[in-house]
Amino acid sequence: MAKWAEPVGHVWPKLVARVGGFARNHWFELQYLAAVLGNALFLGAQPRRWRRTVRSVFAQQLLLFGVESVRFILIMAVLVGISVVVQLDVWTGKLGQSQRLGPLLVAVVARELGPLFANFVLIVRGGSAITTELGLMKVGGEVRVLEAQGIEPLPFLVMPRVLAMAVSAFCLTVIFVLVAFASGFGFGALIGQTNSDPAVFVNSVFKAVHPFDALGLLAKCLLPAMFTAVICATEGLSSEGSVTEVPLATKRGLARSLGVLFLTSAVVSVLTYS
Amino acid sequence: MPAPIVKLVNVTVQTSSQYETGLWNLSFELNAGELLLVRIERENERLPLADVTEGLVSPAQGTVTFLGADWQRLSVDHAAAHRGKIGRLFEDEGWISDLDVDENIMLAQRYHTQRTEEEILEEALRFARMFGLPGLPRGRPGKVRRWDLRKAACIRAFLGQPTLIILEQPVRGVYADFMAPLLNAVRSARTRGAAVLWTVTDPQIWNNPGVRPTSRARMLGAELHVIPMES
Repeated sequence: MAKWAEPVGHVWPKLVARVGGFARNHWFELQYLAAVLGNALFLGAQPRRWRRTVRSVFAQQLLLFGVESVRFILIMAVLVGISVVVQLDVWTGKLGQSQRLGPLLVAVVARELGPLFANFVLIVRGGSAITTELGLMKVGGEVRVLEAQGIEPLPFLVMPRVLAMAVSAFCLTVIFVLVAFASGFGFGALIGQTNSDPAVFVNSVFKAVHPFDALGLLAKCLLPAMFTAVICATEGLSSEGSVTEVPLATKRGLARSLGVLFLTSAVVSVLTYS
Repeated sequence: MPAPIVKLVNVTVQTSSQYETGLWNLSFELNAGELLLVRIERENERLPLADVTEGLVSPAQGTVTFLGADWQRLSVDHAAAHRGKIGRLFEDEGWISDLDVDENIMLAQRYHTQRTEEEILEEALRFARMFGLPGLPRGRPGKVRRWDLRKAACIRAFLGQPTLIILEQPVRGVYADFMAPLLNAVRSARTRGAAVLWTVTDPQIWNNPGVRPTSRARMLGAELHVIPMES
């Protein structure tokens, strides 16, 4: 019997089973990632795990993810500042809602765009680097060499990368938000669209910040960054066979990291601000 | 009587894509100062023998104990700490491509011990001179000559006074200028109480009287045949 002729009554259970299977697989995957992340954080909380070799890997990764991304995040922050902050300032002024500028800036730039852009940069620069590096190490037998010397991949390879990503995400978010505000204010003042008194601008922004914002901001910048590191590390370390596996693992890692970034951002927004 | 440094009892390892053959019902033990010389077949060079001895591969049957502890019963942390007491010269050299050769050599010591950098470097340089190198090779492993890498691999295997030394075909391709210092290093290690597992394919080394093994064995397929030593 042709597929299209299948009775409708048979299609629904299959569809439900497929959706159920999809949800279950993703649930198990999430559990696995959460377990790896939990382990990495648990190891990172123990001072004895911070051996000199682990410290040097952490510093190296911090340099790679954080410091080397600063220039890129600065450029993006300036552009975002000019477009978003000026737009908001102009429209709140035109609508006679200038007092709403602070809350709007905090909502758009600090709560949403800052963590999103910082994590986006980290996924592109750090996530791909993690998957490629660890994938090539795995395929080339280097992970086995480490294990043979009593150096476990989780504390030596994964944990420092997870924490370096988290620290980088936080710092890049702060830099992004500050530079976006500053550039927006500067450009607005330059074209005569904003109140040229910086104190008024700073005051309106600070007034709009609530304790929940700090919590939401932390969750939005740290969670996706740590999940990105875990996803990319596990994808890299699960590469087997030949080097042709590595680009595929990188592609999967980046796609999943982006998915987690937007999902986390949405979930945290709903939980924090609804 | 102290426990053997390493003891394998009826160990069977399934063949996998990583290896050219598995292991079948293999048993041996190595005590302090002993050397087991294993001749392996050229067509079956990639064996899980070193990996199973280090507890990196779980046997399908049998037990492997290191310093009296069964690898299977050790926690991940304890197993890693135990592996830090093993020096290994890998068959395929085994370098971390993202680290310089000198960093590779000192990595395990820097990870597992509290020894100062100077102390580790001093010992590594002593071994480097012993193996005919003017110093520790610098630069990424891909940029260093193969001969120098082989010597560097030896320095790494002997660094930090390991309890067990696994030498997987250590002199392959570098026999002439390398055998004497290697035998000296092995002799010193055995004198201080280390056990040595040495695999060879080359009959020249198998028959070399300077190796002075306490036991010899041949791998035939997946089986290890221990050859009784003449006293």
